[in-house]
Amino acid sequence: MKTPQQNRFSHRGHRAHRENRCPLYCRRVLCGLCVLCGLWFGLSPFSAYAEDILHLYNWNNYISDTTISRFEDECKCRVIQDYYSDNEEMLAKLAAGATGYDIIVPTGNAVEALVRQHALRPLDKSLLPNLKNIDPAYLNTWFDPGNKYSVPYAYTITLIGYNSEKLRGLDLPLDSWAAIFEPRYLEKVKGRVTVLDSQRELLAAALKYLGYSVNDTDEGHWRQARDLIIRAKPYWAAFNASSYIKELTVGNIWLVHGYSNDIFQADQDAQKARRGFRIRANLPKEGAVLALDSMVLHKSGPRPDLAHRFISFMLDGRNSSELTNLIGSGNPNRAAQPYILPEIADNPSVFPNHEQQARLEMLRDLDRNQRRVLSRIWTEIKLR
Amino acid sequence: MNDGRKQSHATRLTRWLVGGPPLLFLLLLVAVPGAIMVLASFRYPGEFGGLAPLFADAQTLHGVTTETYRFFFSDFIYTEVFLKSFGMALATTLICLVMAYPLAMLIARSPKRNRNLMMLLVILPFTSNFLIGIYAWMIILGPQAALNHAINALLGAFGAAPVQLLFSPFAVLIVMVYVYLPFMVLPLYTNLEKHDPLLLDAAQDLGANAWQRFWRVTFPLSRPGIFAGCALVFIPAIGMFLVPELVGGTGDIMIGNLIKEQFLATRDWPFGSTLAILLTLAVLLVLWIVAKLSARGGRYA
Repeated sequence: MKTPQQNRFSHRGHRAHRENRCPLYCRRVLCGLCVLCGLWFGLSPFSAYAEDILHLYNWNNYISDTTISRFEDECKCRVIQDYYSDNEEMLAKLAAGATGYDIIVPTGNAVEALVRQHALRPLDKSLLPNLKNIDPAYLNTWFDPGNKYSVPYAYTITLIGYNSEKLRGLDLPLDSWAAIFEPRYLEKVKGRVTVLDSQRELLAAALKYLGYSVNDTDEGHWRQARDLIIRAKPYWAAFNASSYIKELTVGNIWLVHGYSNDIFQADQDAQKARRGFRIRANLPKEGAVLALDSMVLHKSGPRPDLAHRFISFMLDGRNSSELTNLIGSGNPNRAAQPYILPEIADNPSVFPNHEQQARLEMLRDLDRNQRRVLSRIWTEIKLR
Repeated sequence: MNDGRKQSHATRLTRWLVGGPPLLFLLLLVAVPGAIMVLASFRYPGEFGGLAPLFADAQTLHGVTTETYRFFFSDFIYTEVFLKSFGMALATTLICLVMAYPLAMLIARSPKRNRNLMMLLVILPFTSNFLIGIYAWMIILGPQAALNHAINALLGAFGAAPVQLLFSPFAVLIVMVYVYLPFMVLPLYTNLEKHDPLLLDAAQDLGANAWQRFWRVTFPLSRPGIFAGCALVFIPAIGMFLVPELVGGTGDIMIGNLIKEQFLATRDWPFGSTLAILLTLAVLLVLWIVAKLSARGGRYA
């Protein structure tokens, strides 16, 4: 069987052959090239597994290398990873026609979008006996009722992260979004606060603080949230979705609105560098956004059999726990608990208790008009 | 006669061979994407990104529309972003010009054997990815860095409130100048290097002082270099999105950020295309005005 690359290559060679009316020696060179390419693909050291390649389209740094190599040993296959750093980026790439991915790991709202586009392959649950390991709280979600297409992989929570030393004695309500939005608290940490550079996430935090749902689409409520954000903005240093981890670690930024795994990483880095402070995370009492990432099978994937094996493999407790131990992500897999480092397992911002879980919400996709209105509001926020 | 025709045939062939590939390049990589963009700006956004279909049943949104243009002009906020980006790009261009002109002049007037080394030093930043340079600036401007401490100590001595350098319009400007300075130096140097030193000698003989020699001889002659340098800095600077995103504060949005957001966050290709087209038109308008002005100025010299 030919790999897609091989097909594409020989195809191109073929066309050059037909259309170009070039002298004989030129054709010879082309033929030679074709033969060489064929040899390269045929004789490359991976040819033994040429048919067994799993194409995984995943978030950056969202699986441990040990896990990958263990899976490769077990299935006698090779995993080729491609990465994205944003759901929208992944959706945009697929919308532009990218194909060949067996498994993708999108967040809930992106799963919904893919389901509605009929871009996913239904799961064969007879191949996934370990599905029972998943906490029922993360099954049967609105984006995929009955889990026809998706298997929960990991989750992050958007919460408040802070520097344990620098904020000591400042008497900020760190268990509430008020710390991020109320000028009377913010003036104590002016210029030391960043919030996520994400329309949906920041709006969600503001909506939660105002007592609305993160999926509220009432424009009046959005405007209220906008005013809240604009009032707090002069006290913030920046909208930041990437370098805030480093700034937290170094001690430049003391208080952030950020993702739980980023804050975990900042804490680890600060400890490694012996900074003398810890980066802690708090789940605000008003509630927050939960982003559940799930494994799905893309229709364009050539190897659903390997994809099912991979999902089944990741449902195993030990394999699943490695990601949590690596990046501090939440784990919906109950069988993983015994393998998770105790300091992470006991961290309520990674594993919230039942009462806290009830206050978490997942973001739903907005329709095109809502997206445009939100973008308009966001521009206003940035400009004022 | 026959010979002449043959020759013109050959020249024409050469012209095509020389001009063909660049023309093809421009057609494929500039004209075609540009046309696609114009077409996309008159469509509806697709529900999941991309574009809504041109033809579909009555229930789904489809067809051609000018709604994105109406949306742009329906309120002033997007124009404001344009004006802000123009201001930022203009400031970058002027600072680059003021910094690059003496440098280019210095290099052009130094001994020939040193010039190549000096030019190499000017283009040295190109050898590393400019992203790394930006991250270096983030460290230099950071609140823990010596620079910020020194400035705040100085301000404190005068009783002023401490300032933060990173995450501010100031940081955006510094990094933009850092990124685009070589683009200003290069055309200025190529221009200044060609000036005949005899002209200056003649001016001196005619009694012009150093200032007059610069202002009435060197400066007018270097106008094409200035124009080229300003265009090379201004055009990419106005579309910049990375620098404001990385070192900018809460208010530093530029048109580039807005366009990027339409494609990656809002999934609104038609509006993103509209913004990009209007940006192109605005830049062309500015260039046209500048070209007109410089042509008129040239007549005096």
